[in-house]
Amino acid sequence: MRQALIEALLLIVAAIILGVAYSFVTNQGFFAKTQSVHSVTDANIEMIPLAMAKDFFESNNVLFIDSRHEFDYQAGHIRGAVNVALKMFDTHLTRLNKISKDKLLIVYCDGAECNSSIELAVKLMESGFTNVKVFFGGWQEWSSAKLPIEK
Amino acid sequence: MKSLLSNTILILLVRIFLGGIFVVAGLDKITDLQAFANSVLQYKVVGPMLAMCTATFLPALELLCGLSLIIGLYPRSCELLIIIMLMGFTILVSSALVRGLDISCGCFTQDPNASKIGYQKILENCGLLFLSVWLLFARNQDINLFQFFRKQPNKSIT
Repeated sequence: MRQALIEALLLIVAAIILGVAYSFVTNQGFFAKTQSVHSVTDANIEMIPLAMAKDFFESNNVLFIDSRHEFDYQAGHIRGAVNVALKMFDTHLTRLNKISKDKLLIVYCDGAECNSSIELAVKLMESGFTNVKVFFGGWQEWSSAKLPIEK
Repeated sequence: MKSLLSNTILILLVRIFLGGIFVVAGLDKITDLQAFANSVLQYKVVGPMLAMCTATFLPALELLCGLSLIIGLYPRSCELLIIIMLMGFTILVSSALVRGLDISCGCFTQDPNASKIGYQKILENCGLLFLSVWLLFARNQDINLFQFFRKQPNKSIT
Protein backbone atom coordinates (compact mmCIF):
# COMPACT_ATOMS: atom_id res chain seq x y z
CA MET A 1 0.00 0.00 0.00
CA ARG A 2 2.89 2.33 0.84
CA GLN A 3 4.35 1.63 -2.58
CA ALA A 4 0.99 2.48 -4.22
CA LEU A 5 0.82 5.80 -2.35
CA ILE A 6 4.34 6.74 -3.46
CA GLU A 7 3.46 5.87 -7.06
CA ALA A 8 0.23 7.87 -6.78
CA LEU A 9 2.24 10.86 -5.59
CA LEU A 10 4.59 10.41 -8.56
CA LEU A 11 1.62 10.39 -10.95
CA ILE A 12 0.24 13.58 -9.35
CA VAL A 13 3.61 15.34 -9.74
CA ALA A 14 3.84 14.12 -13.35
CA ALA A 15 0.30 15.40 -14.02
CA ILE A 16 1.16 18.83 -12.58
CA ILE A 17 4.30 19.07 -14.75
CA LEU A 18 2.44 17.83 -17.83
CA GLY A 19 -0.52 20.18 -17.20
CA VAL A 20 1.67 23.25 -16.71
CA ALA A 21 3.86 22.37 -19.73
CA TYR A 22 0.82 21.80 -21.94
CA SER A 23 -0.75 25.02 -20.72
CA PHE A 24 2.50 26.89 -21.52
CA VAL A 25 2.96 25.37 -24.99
CA THR A 26 -0.67 25.90 -26.07
CA ASN A 27 -1.12 29.33 -24.41
CA GLN A 28 -4.12 28.04 -22.53
CA GLY A 29 -4.95 27.93 -18.82
CA PHE A 30 -2.51 29.96 -16.73
CA PHE A 31 -0.58 31.07 -19.76
CA ALA A 32 -3.57 32.23 -21.82
CA LYS A 33 -3.07 35.68 -23.34
CA THR A 34 -6.59 36.64 -22.28
CA GLN A 35 -8.15 35.07 -19.25
CA SER A 36 -11.67 34.12 -20.24
CA VAL A 37 -12.73 32.44 -17.03
CA HIS A 38 -15.48 34.33 -15.31
CA SER A 39 -17.93 33.55 -12.61
CA VAL A 40 -21.43 34.68 -13.49
CA THR A 41 -21.26 37.32 -10.79
CA ASP A 42 -17.86 38.62 -11.95
CA ALA A 43 -18.90 38.93 -15.58
CA ASN A 44 -20.58 42.35 -15.06
CA ILE A 45 -23.19 41.77 -17.72
CA GLU A 46 -26.59 43.37 -17.55
CA MET A 47 -29.41 40.85 -17.21
CA ILE A 48 -32.72 42.03 -18.57
CA PRO A 49 -36.22 40.69 -17.88
CA LEU A 50 -38.87 39.79 -20.45
CA ALA A 51 -40.59 43.18 -20.39
CA MET A 52 -37.36 44.98 -21.20
CA ALA A 53 -36.43 42.45 -23.90
CA LYS A 54 -39.86 43.02 -25.46
CA ASP A 55 -39.37 46.82 -25.39
CA PHE A 56 -35.98 46.50 -27.10
CA PHE A 57 -37.48 44.09 -29.64
CA GLU A 58 -40.18 46.60 -30.51
CA SER A 59 -37.62 49.40 -30.83
CA ASN A 60 -36.12 47.49 -33.82
CA ASN A 61 -32.68 48.75 -32.88
CA VAL A 62 -31.35 45.52 -31.46
CA LEU A 63 -29.90 42.22 -32.59
CA PHE A 64 -31.02 39.15 -30.66
CA ILE A 65 -28.42 36.39 -30.54
CA ASP A 66 -29.49 32.81 -29.87
CA SER A 67 -26.69 30.83 -28.19
CA ARG A 68 -28.41 27.43 -28.35
CA HIS A 69 -27.56 24.52 -30.64
CA GLU A 70 -28.43 25.03 -34.29
CA PHE A 71 -31.20 22.41 -34.23
CA ASP A 72 -32.90 24.18 -31.27
CA TYR A 73 -32.60 27.43 -33.18
CA GLN A 74 -34.09 25.84 -36.32
CA ALA A 75 -37.00 24.51 -34.25
CA GLY A 76 -37.94 28.05 -33.25
CA HIS A 77 -36.33 31.32 -32.20
CA ILE A 78 -37.10 34.97 -31.47
CA ARG A 79 -38.03 36.67 -34.75
CA GLY A 80 -34.93 38.15 -36.38
CA ALA A 81 -32.49 36.45 -34.01
CA VAL A 82 -29.24 35.05 -35.38
CA ASN A 83 -27.74 31.81 -34.18
CA VAL A 84 -24.26 31.88 -32.66
CA ALA A 85 -23.84 28.58 -30.86
CA LEU A 86 -21.23 29.06 -28.16
CA LYS A 87 -19.03 26.22 -29.45
CA MET A 88 -18.99 27.81 -32.92
CA PHE A 89 -18.13 31.30 -31.71
CA ASP A 90 -14.80 31.51 -33.54
CA THR A 91 -16.47 30.44 -36.79
CA HIS A 92 -19.09 33.18 -36.43
CA LEU A 93 -16.63 35.88 -35.37
CA THR A 94 -15.91 37.06 -38.93
CA ARG A 95 -19.64 37.56 -39.52
CA LEU A 96 -20.07 39.25 -36.14
CA ASN A 97 -17.21 41.65 -36.80
CA LYS A 98 -19.29 43.22 -39.59
CA ILE A 99 -21.69 44.50 -36.93
CA SER A 100 -21.03 47.87 -35.32
CA LYS A 101 -19.28 47.39 -31.97
CA ASP A 102 -21.74 49.63 -30.13
CA LYS A 103 -24.84 47.91 -31.52
CA LEU A 104 -27.16 46.61 -28.80
CA LEU A 105 -26.85 42.82 -28.67
CA ILE A 106 -29.23 40.75 -26.53
CA VAL A 107 -28.08 37.19 -25.98
CA TYR A 108 -30.41 34.42 -24.86
CA CYS A 109 -30.40 30.66 -24.51
CA ASP A 110 -33.04 28.19 -23.40
CA GLY A 111 -34.07 29.62 -20.08
CA ALA A 112 -33.05 31.23 -16.82
CA GLU A 113 -30.84 28.35 -15.73
CA CYS A 114 -28.65 27.88 -18.81
CA ASN A 115 -25.22 29.47 -18.89
CA SER A 116 -24.37 29.57 -22.57
CA SER A 117 -25.95 33.02 -23.02
CA ILE A 118 -23.75 34.46 -20.27
CA GLU A 119 -20.62 32.77 -21.63
CA LEU A 120 -21.38 34.01 -25.13
CA ALA A 121 -22.00 37.53 -23.80
CA VAL A 122 -18.59 37.43 -22.10
CA LYS A 123 -16.94 36.34 -25.36
CA LEU A 124 -18.73 39.11 -27.27
CA MET A 125 -17.54 41.71 -24.77
CA GLU A 126 -13.99 40.36 -25.04
CA SER A 127 -14.28 40.74 -28.80
CA GLY A 128 -14.98 44.45 -28.39
CA PHE A 129 -18.78 44.69 -28.33
CA THR A 130 -19.69 47.31 -25.77
CA ASN A 131 -23.46 47.01 -25.52
CA VAL A 132 -24.24 43.41 -24.66
CA LYS A 133 -27.12 42.28 -22.46
CA VAL A 134 -28.47 38.87 -21.49
CA PHE A 135 -32.18 38.09 -21.61
CA PHE A 136 -32.15 35.55 -18.79
CA GLY A 137 -35.70 34.27 -19.32
CA GLY A 138 -34.58 33.05 -22.73
CA TRP A 139 -36.55 31.09 -25.27
CA GLN A 140 -38.84 29.44 -22.69
CA GLU A 141 -40.12 32.75 -21.34
CA TRP A 142 -40.36 34.42 -24.75
CA SER A 143 -42.32 31.58 -26.38
CA SER A 144 -44.58 31.14 -23.32
CA ALA A 145 -45.47 34.84 -23.55
CA LYS A 146 -46.52 34.22 -27.20
CA LEU A 147 -44.20 36.95 -28.45
CA PRO A 148 -43.08 36.99 -32.13
CA ILE A 149 -41.11 33.95 -33.15
CA GLU A 150 -40.05 32.33 -36.40
CA LYS A 151 -38.92 28.87 -37.50
CA MET B 1 -16.00 -14.63 -6.16
CA LYS B 2 -12.35 -15.60 -5.74
CA SER B 3 -12.10 -16.57 -9.40
CA LEU B 4 -13.65 -13.25 -10.38
CA LEU B 5 -11.01 -11.41 -8.38
CA SER B 6 -8.18 -13.29 -10.08
CA ASN B 7 -9.45 -13.59 -13.65
CA THR B 8 -6.65 -12.03 -15.70
CA ILE B 9 -8.70 -11.40 -18.85
CA LEU B 10 -11.50 -9.74 -16.86
CA ILE B 11 -8.99 -7.57 -14.99
CA LEU B 12 -7.41 -6.44 -18.26
CA LEU B 13 -10.79 -5.76 -19.90
CA VAL B 14 -12.03 -3.69 -16.94
CA ARG B 15 -8.73 -1.78 -16.89
CA ILE B 16 -9.03 -0.98 -20.60
CA PHE B 17 -12.68 0.09 -20.17
CA LEU B 18 -12.02 2.27 -17.13
CA GLY B 19 -8.76 3.64 -18.52
CA GLY B 20 -10.45 4.38 -21.85
CA ILE B 21 -13.17 6.39 -20.14
CA PHE B 22 -10.61 8.50 -18.33
CA VAL B 23 -8.53 9.01 -21.50
CA VAL B 24 -11.61 10.20 -23.43
CA ALA B 25 -12.66 12.49 -20.56
CA GLY B 26 -9.14 13.90 -20.21
CA LEU B 27 -8.70 14.47 -23.95
CA ASP B 28 -11.92 16.48 -24.25
CA LYS B 29 -10.96 18.70 -21.33
CA ILE B 30 -7.35 19.25 -22.35
CA THR B 31 -8.32 20.53 -25.81
CA ASP B 32 -10.07 23.57 -24.28
CA LEU B 33 -8.82 24.34 -20.78
CA GLN B 34 -10.74 27.63 -20.63
CA ALA B 35 -14.04 25.90 -21.36
CA PHE B 36 -13.30 23.28 -18.72
CA ALA B 37 -12.44 25.98 -16.18
CA ASN B 38 -15.82 27.56 -16.94
CA SER B 39 -17.49 24.18 -16.38
CA VAL B 40 -15.74 23.92 -12.99
CA LEU B 41 -16.94 27.43 -12.11
CA GLN B 42 -20.55 26.48 -12.81
CA TYR B 43 -20.49 24.25 -9.72
CA LYS B 44 -19.99 27.42 -7.63
CA VAL B 45 -17.55 25.72 -5.26
CA VAL B 46 -14.29 27.44 -6.22
CA GLY B 47 -13.32 30.84 -7.59
CA PRO B 48 -11.82 31.56 -11.05
CA MET B 49 -8.19 31.08 -9.89
CA LEU B 50 -8.78 27.65 -8.37
CA ALA B 51 -10.96 26.67 -11.34
CA MET B 52 -8.01 27.47 -13.63
CA CYS B 53 -5.68 25.39 -11.39
CA THR B 54 -8.11 22.47 -11.60
CA ALA B 55 -8.41 22.89 -15.38
CA THR B 56 -4.63 22.84 -15.78
CA PHE B 57 -4.03 19.81 -13.57
CA LEU B 58 -7.09 17.52 -13.66
CA PRO B 59 -7.22 16.66 -17.41
CA ALA B 60 -3.51 15.73 -17.33
CA LEU B 61 -4.11 13.50 -14.30
CA GLU B 62 -7.10 11.84 -15.97
CA LEU B 63 -5.05 11.19 -19.11
CA LEU B 64 -2.05 9.84 -17.21
CA CYS B 65 -4.17 7.58 -14.99
CA GLY B 66 -6.20 6.32 -17.96
CA LEU B 67 -3.14 5.53 -20.08
CA SER B 68 -1.21 3.98 -17.18
CA LEU B 69 -4.18 1.79 -16.28
CA ILE B 70 -4.55 0.58 -19.88
CA ILE B 71 -0.90 -0.36 -20.25
CA GLY B 72 -0.67 -1.64 -16.66
CA LEU B 73 1.92 0.80 -15.33
CA TYR B 74 1.42 1.50 -11.58
CA PRO B 75 -2.07 -0.08 -11.70
CA ARG B 76 -2.80 0.07 -7.95
CA SER B 77 -1.91 3.73 -7.62
CA CYS B 78 -3.97 4.56 -10.73
CA GLU B 79 -6.95 2.71 -9.28
CA LEU B 80 -6.49 4.57 -6.02
CA LEU B 81 -6.37 7.96 -7.78
CA ILE B 82 -9.36 7.07 -9.97
CA ILE B 83 -11.38 6.11 -6.86
CA ILE B 84 -10.49 9.45 -5.23
CA MET B 85 -11.41 11.38 -8.42
CA LEU B 86 -14.70 9.51 -8.86
CA MET B 87 -15.63 10.12 -5.21
CA GLY B 88 -14.88 13.81 -5.67
CA PHE B 89 -16.93 14.02 -8.89
CA THR B 90 -19.87 12.22 -7.25
CA ILE B 91 -19.84 14.53 -4.23
CA LEU B 92 -19.66 17.59 -6.53
CA VAL B 93 -22.56 16.47 -8.74
CA SER B 94 -24.65 15.50 -5.69
CA SER B 95 -24.05 18.85 -4.02
CA ALA B 96 -24.94 20.68 -7.25
CA LEU B 97 -28.20 18.71 -7.46
CA VAL B 98 -29.01 19.41 -3.81
CA ARG B 99 -28.39 23.13 -4.39
CA GLY B 100 -30.70 23.03 -7.40
CA LEU B 101 -28.04 23.98 -9.96
CA ASP B 102 -29.19 23.18 -13.48
CA ILE B 103 -25.79 22.86 -15.13
CA SER B 104 -24.11 20.55 -17.61
CA CYS B 105 -21.64 18.09 -16.11
CA GLY B 106 -18.47 19.10 -17.95
CA CYS B 107 -17.38 15.46 -17.74
CA PHE B 108 -17.04 14.41 -21.38
CA THR B 109 -17.96 17.60 -23.20
CA GLN B 110 -17.58 21.26 -22.29
CA ASP B 111 -20.61 22.33 -24.30
CA PRO B 112 -22.85 24.32 -21.88
CA ASN B 113 -25.87 23.18 -23.89
CA ALA B 114 -25.05 19.51 -23.28
CA SER B 115 -27.39 17.41 -21.19
CA LYS B 116 -27.73 18.59 -17.61
CA ILE B 117 -26.51 16.76 -14.52
CA GLY B 118 -28.97 14.41 -12.85
CA TYR B 119 -29.27 11.29 -10.76
CA GLN B 120 -28.23 9.27 -13.82
CA LYS B 121 -24.77 10.84 -13.60
CA ILE B 122 -24.48 9.81 -9.94
CA LEU B 123 -25.47 6.24 -10.87
CA GLU B 124 -22.87 6.19 -13.67
CA ASN B 125 -20.19 7.38 -11.26
CA CYS B 126 -21.23 4.76 -8.68
CA GLY B 127 -20.92 2.06 -11.35
CA LEU B 128 -17.41 3.24 -12.27
CA LEU B 129 -16.54 3.50 -8.57
CA PHE B 130 -17.65 -0.11 -8.06
CA LEU B 131 -15.43 -1.27 -10.96
CA SER B 132 -12.44 0.70 -9.60
CA VAL B 133 -12.83 -0.74 -6.08
CA TRP B 134 -13.21 -4.23 -7.56
CA LEU B 135 -9.99 -3.70 -9.54
CA LEU B 136 -8.15 -2.46 -6.44
CA PHE B 137 -8.98 -5.67 -4.60
CA ALA B 138 -8.35 -7.95 -7.57
CA ARG B 139 -5.29 -10.18 -7.58
CA ASN B 140 -2.83 -10.57 -10.46
CA GLN B 141 -2.26 -6.81 -10.37
CA ASP B 142 1.23 -7.26 -11.78
CA ILE B 143 -0.12 -8.40 -15.12
CA ASN B 144 -0.03 -5.89 -17.94
CA LEU B 145 -0.96 -5.98 -21.61
CA PHE B 146 2.59 -6.76 -22.80
CA GLN B 147 3.02 -9.64 -20.35
CA PHE B 148 -0.43 -10.96 -21.21
CA PHE B 149 0.32 -11.21 -24.92
CA ARG B 150 3.81 -12.59 -24.27
CA LYS B 151 2.28 -15.35 -22.15
CA GLN B 152 -0.08 -16.53 -24.90
CA PRO B 153 1.18 -19.79 -26.46
CA ASN B 154 2.26 -19.56 -30.06
CA LYS B 155 -0.49 -21.40 -31.91
CA SER B 156 0.88 -20.93 -35.41
CA ILE B 157 2.06 -24.07 -37.16
CA THR B 158 5.36 -23.63 -38.89
